[in-house]
Amino acid sequence: MNRYTKDKLIFWLFLAPALLSFLLVVIVPFFMGLYYSFTDWTAVAGETPNFLGFANYANMFSDIAFRYSFLRTFLFTLLSVISINFISLTFAFLVTREIKFKNFYRAGFFIPNLIGGLVLGYIWQFIFKSVVPAIGGLLGIDFIEQLLILAEPNLTLFGLIFAFTWQYAGYIMMIYIAALLNVPQELLEASEIDGANFLQKLWNITIPMIAQAFTITSFLTLVNSFKQYDIIIALTNGGPADIYQDHIVNSTELLAVHIYNVAFKYNNMAEGQARAIVFFIVLSFVSIGQVYFSKKREVEM
Amino acid sequence: MKKLFALLLTLLLVIGLFAGCTTTDTDTTDTTDSDAVMDDETDDSAGDDTADVPMKDQEVVIYQNKVEIHEQLSAFAAEYEAATGVKVTVKTSGGDSPYAENLKAEFQSDRQPDIFVIEGMGGYNTWASKLTPFENEEWMDLTALEFVVDGTTYGFPVAVEGWGMAYNVDMLKKAGVDPASLTSQEAYEAAFEKIDSMKDELGIKSVVAMAAGPDMRWVTGLHNFNGYLSAGLEFGDTTVLDKLNMGEADMQRLTEYADWVELLFNYSDRAVLLTGNYDAQVGQFGTQQSAFIHQGNWIDPWMISNGVDFPMAFAPHASVKGELTTIFIGAPSFYVLNNESENMDAAKAFLNYMATNEAGHNYMVKEAQMVPAFTNVTLKPDAPLSANLAEWVAKGKAYTWLQNDMPDGFGMGTIAPIYESFAKGDITKEEFINLIKDKIEELK
Repeated sequence: MNRYTKDKLIFWLFLAPALLSFLLVVIVPFFMGLYYSFTDWTAVAGETPNFLGFANYANMFSDIAFRYSFLRTFLFTLLSVISINFISLTFAFLVTREIKFKNFYRAGFFIPNLIGGLVLGYIWQFIFKSVVPAIGGLLGIDFIEQLLILAEPNLTLFGLIFAFTWQYAGYIMMIYIAALLNVPQELLEASEIDGANFLQKLWNITIPMIAQAFTITSFLTLVNSFKQYDIIIALTNGGPADIYQDHIVNSTELLAVHIYNVAFKYNNMAEGQARAIVFFIVLSFVSIGQVYFSKKREVEM
Repeated sequence: MKKLFALLLTLLLVIGLFAGCTTTDTDTTDTTDSDAVMDDETDDSAGDDTADVPMKDQEVVIYQNKVEIHEQLSAFAAEYEAATGVKVTVKTSGGDSPYAENLKAEFQSDRQPDIFVIEGMGGYNTWASKLTPFENEEWMDLTALEFVVDGTTYGFPVAVEGWGMAYNVDMLKKAGVDPASLTSQEAYEAAFEKIDSMKDELGIKSVVAMAAGPDMRWVTGLHNFNGYLSAGLEFGDTTVLDKLNMGEADMQRLTEYADWVELLFNYSDRAVLLTGNYDAQVGQFGTQQSAFIHQGNWIDPWMISNGVDFPMAFAPHASVKGELTTIFIGAPSFYVLNNESENMDAAKAFLNYMATNEAGHNYMVKEAQMVPAFTNVTLKPDAPLSANLAEWVAKGKAYTWLQNDMPDGFGMGTIAPIYESFAKGDITKEEFINLIKDKIEELK
């Protein structure tokens, strides 16, 4: 046994515990899930599932609630990615300037991220249901006093994006701050001597220099918006009802919530599992595509 | 090559460990035949052959779903152990942590409870392969509410619950409405109109505290809809439900029923109706801002813990046309036996003790504040709605609970959003009827 082999062996030995846990709790269940999605699995111990082939997948696409949920999830993801990135980049610019109390602001923007999604959802539910009408009453504006934000499908979606942005923007802001502080000062100074204005500096120097951060932040916000579950459960519980192609649907039942409901509320474990597989494939596709295109735009110093 | 060797070694390690982990669940074949089951956990065979273990050494595990009675049930279990020497462990999950999922996990992980809970046919269909019937138990002669499938008794009724239109006794007196007259849609309409005109005098926001929002789908999709399934029919009559399960709607009943839904929605507070949660709905009634509430006797603990003590009672739901003389009474959940339990005798004895012994009665009525389903209980509940429910039970007439016998998710998932749209005014009564009809027909 030469040195090289020994090193290899030690390397694999150290890796084994992590690899093993990953196998046991991620890889193995994933393939079991894949198998279950082709059966009529009920999750009751001791019952052998029957093989159905693609029946669960066929049902999925004929289900209006699933199609609606898909569209709604894409809409939510698009809007929340834009909203989170815009807000967090703005904040990052603000707190990297020389202003008073900038550390206080940094901490303040970051704090909502430390609150759990469920708690946050209930807080915002209270604000939308009780605080907003009360403010309307104080201002004497009848319209706001009578406004039931969580009974209006579109307002509810915006409320959800608002709450999610409030939670997540502080975290994304931290990534942008790190990137902004890494932009070489001499470049900016040189451009200033050449007579570039603020917008030109932003567009030609700052943005390309922080493109790497964009890759990370858009990936994180995209994936997290797509998988949004806990805030929805606490804030809207899937409601309010909306009408789509003459069917009544739940307007904020995004994919993760929808899959959970199919599996547990309707007690269709296998069908829920099949939808989860499709969810996984779509999300992988979208996020890999996003990372690929963002990587192309990064510049090397 | 060496890389390959290392990889193989690691894989071997992994597979070895993995196999080590999975040896305990090799007996997934379903048999009750005691000599075919290999069980590595204990040295005596599983199945129905528990006679060789004396009852004293058996330990019963009961896994139940009522968070609010966990303390009381545990105390009763300790009392039982002191009296008989049999240890009973109470495990609870419920409220916000969903019982059905946790139960499946419990079975998957091989920590099988001896006694667990099902709620009607849905639960039975899921767990049928795990259940074992009760035979010749003493309590079976003392109740009419046990859970029966094809003449075989599978479930022990945990308690009796009931709901109707709960009303504020003093307020109705003040408004000059006789609660005894509330037995038809016409009478309700007249009463609602009268109370509505006296809103300011009575200091109420709306006549009825009703909720149809996303958090309260069980109120509309299960409890209110049960009016369509059973109001006005003989106790135990399942014709409408059977038709529903076969995908057929009773249009006459559905049309009459829609009038009742419309009446309730018209006299409700919009904010509570569309976005209210449980606290908002029960709170509106508890703070005397409504004369009626569409809830059952389970709101008693909420009232007690919030110091509400005005007299209240139930009136029947006028879900369909004609005279309606009673409220919906049933057992919401049942204790069932796990057929792989090794402590079957002890489990049966524990349940029997609960139903037949004074200590059991005391626990059910005084400690847990429940209304027992057994005729031999003489204790009376203290809480106002439960006491009133006991009176309705004593009258010997009830409309059946059938909402838990619909397909899983149909009530709360499929039809409840339709109520919400109707409440918002997005759809007309005509559309409401047709949408429900369509959903019923999809069940074919």
